[in-house]
Amino acid sequence: MSAPPTAPPRLVVGIDLGTTNSLAAIRAGKVARVLRDRDGEALVPSVVCFHPDGRTLVGREAKRLRLTCPDRTVFSVKRLIGRSAAEVGAEAARLPYPVVAGERGLPRIRIGDATLSPEAISARILQQVKANAELALGQPVAAAVITVPAWFDDAQRQATKDAAALAGLDCLRILNEPTAAALAYGIDGSKDGTVLVYDLGGGTFDVSILRIDDGVFRVLATAGDTHLGGDDFDLLLADRILAALPGGGKAVDPFVLQAVRSAAEGLKIRLSDAVEAELTLDLGPRGTASLRVTRAEFEAAIAPLVQRTLDCVQRAVRDAGLRLDQIDETVLVGGSTRVPLVRERLRALLGRPPHTEVDPDLAVALGAAIQADVLAGNDRSLLLLDVIPLSLGIETLGGAVQKLILRNSTIPTSVTEEFSTGVDDQTAVELSIYQGERELARDCRLLGTFRLRGIPPLPAGLPRIAVTFLVDADGVLRVHAREQRTGVEAGIQVVPTYGLSREEVRAMMLDSIEHAQADYAAREAIELRNKAEAMVRGAQRALALAELPPDQTYAVHKAVKALERLLAGPTDAAALRAGCDAVTQATATIADDVISAAVTRALREEEGR
Amino acid sequence: MIHVPAPDPFTVFGLPRSLDVDERTLEARYLRLSRECHPDLHRASDTGDCIAVLQRSAEINDAWQVLRDPWRRARALLELLSPGVLDRTKKLDPAFLDEALELAEQVATAGAASAPALRARLQAALADDFAAVRADLQRGDHEAAARRLHASHYHRKALADLEAKS
Repeated sequence: MSAPPTAPPRLVVGIDLGTTNSLAAIRAGKVARVLRDRDGEALVPSVVCFHPDGRTLVGREAKRLRLTCPDRTVFSVKRLIGRSAAEVGAEAARLPYPVVAGERGLPRIRIGDATLSPEAISARILQQVKANAELALGQPVAAAVITVPAWFDDAQRQATKDAAALAGLDCLRILNEPTAAALAYGIDGSKDGTVLVYDLGGGTFDVSILRIDDGVFRVLATAGDTHLGGDDFDLLLADRILAALPGGGKAVDPFVLQAVRSAAEGLKIRLSDAVEAELTLDLGPRGTASLRVTRAEFEAAIAPLVQRTLDCVQRAVRDAGLRLDQIDETVLVGGSTRVPLVRERLRALLGRPPHTEVDPDLAVALGAAIQADVLAGNDRSLLLLDVIPLSLGIETLGGAVQKLILRNSTIPTSVTEEFSTGVDDQTAVELSIYQGERELARDCRLLGTFRLRGIPPLPAGLPRIAVTFLVDADGVLRVHAREQRTGVEAGIQVVPTYGLSREEVRAMMLDSIEHAQADYAAREAIELRNKAEAMVRGAQRALALAELPPDQTYAVHKAVKALERLLAGPTDAAALRAGCDAVTQATATIADDVISAAVTRALREEEGR
Repeated sequence: MIHVPAPDPFTVFGLPRSLDVDERTLEARYLRLSRECHPDLHRASDTGDCIAVLQRSAEINDAWQVLRDPWRRARALLELLSPGVLDRTKKLDPAFLDEALELAEQVATAGAASAPALRARLQAALADDFAAVRADLQRGDHEAAARRLHASHYHRKALADLEAKS
């Protein structure tokens, strides 16, 4: 008898999918190492160039073409992924490639006649990293742990998973970047204690506090800003360069934007070593910029940004229930932590110099490789316990958000709430899920709308639908529902606000080009109508319950009437959306007028306790 | 919307129902349970019932969040000993509400000079609250314990607001 066949160890790599650079690493026999290409380079610039000759180039070659094809070379796409066109509007305007609002108001990158999603661009980068890894390992790679900023919300995580699927990678885990870095730092077993990871990358800032204890890496709290990074330092220098151009850089074209950004980045790097740097940027017919920048000037310009990161540090320490002097070590991650002012300010705040043994460019990928090894089943001595960065809640009457899962809860975590119907024989209930810390729905991010279908037709209030919200180990929300009396599992349809819908991912994976634009518009219109109708009913009920004097409710009545009139006519999506917003706004104002904010809060907490 | 209570955290952790829990025992048990049940370590052997593994892991994490916080632990214990008692005692004594509003006002206007004294006062008030809850529980007076728990919420809130300011 031959020995039972044993499956060959599965190759799972760790991938750091960065704003500026991406790379892969693997752990074999307790040693994690980054994977390098033929030229010995580990970092793949997160840049994709769609050359007019039809080639698509990724990485260093694409980066070199930034000035040749400025409007066809896409970089910093991580800043767009999982967000709406409106949210990224301001920074999209500063990008040399065109970003337009596509279906459902999502950002799309226009290259010639084609429009591409940020997910598709990220997928191209992942494919390149995967190809490099396969070359280095000499065998195919099918699965990966992919890192994201800890501060990424549900939509941004989901979008990253979609990008992995598009690249043909099985994403075993979405791992938080600072947690990955902590793994790389603390893996040797001699670093037990409380660690603060300060991760300032190209486009995002994260801070996480972890306790390392005998192989268990437990995140106590995390805070950050998905909108703050080395790119912002570059932009401040770019402004100086633009101002030094003839005409103050008023008439900017994609070529000038690319050239100025590249020059700004170089200037920043030089200012990390030198106390002053000179730059002459010759843009031929577009003019020449000559300037001298001292480190002191640069530091004065970036000081408010650095202060924002320190505010996050203090918040994370407080959320962890700790004092600054209880932090044993600080680990620096991300290329932007090379800026001297950052190190100086951190040292002043924490009273000791940060730990610098881990390479800030490689730590995240190495940590991801370690977690990949754990998930492949090769190492049972390590355990990671991470948290959800932002609270999750659902919208209640009046536009408030009731928190269901609080930020910094260890994941997986779940909560079950029971809902009922408001109308006889109602067979569907709609729930809007929000993520964020603010109290009003309009100040949080709408992650999506969950429609519970298949509720047995019963008198209003009788169905008892238990809805379980479960945040999995990726930090991604899963919802399931069950009617308690009949045991019927209610079907849930997820309509994500951001990122790709399930159908889109499927369609893109099948490479089907035909896109049923009309279907989308129709579905959107139906959903909008339903929402508007529900809003009219809800507002009327609230008005009846509130028993307010007419002068205070006039605006609400007016907004509701206007929405009713719109519903009576043919569907105009934009007008309906505006009508719904007007009702939300009007109802929120009466809540504010009638009860002071403090009492509202107290009441809500009474309910929540 | 009605909150559906999660599984009893004391049972999840195999601990006796008690207000006082040894923190070291609790943490050691949490880490042991996590190692036993975390989806990361059960992935390779996982034969499909992924949701069940996730749910179990979530139960452990959620029970841990409750048990490690003395106030949430007290609430969970009361609800177990006397289901519905927290709901029945929600109506606050108006005199107390006045005190709560006054505290909120003091926190809102506190400067660097007055903050330390206010912090010490709030900490002392919370210690009193907890001692009172413990005494009420020992006497078996669950209603009194629940009322005191509700009242302590305003002290905690004021303290949290004060810390958030600094």
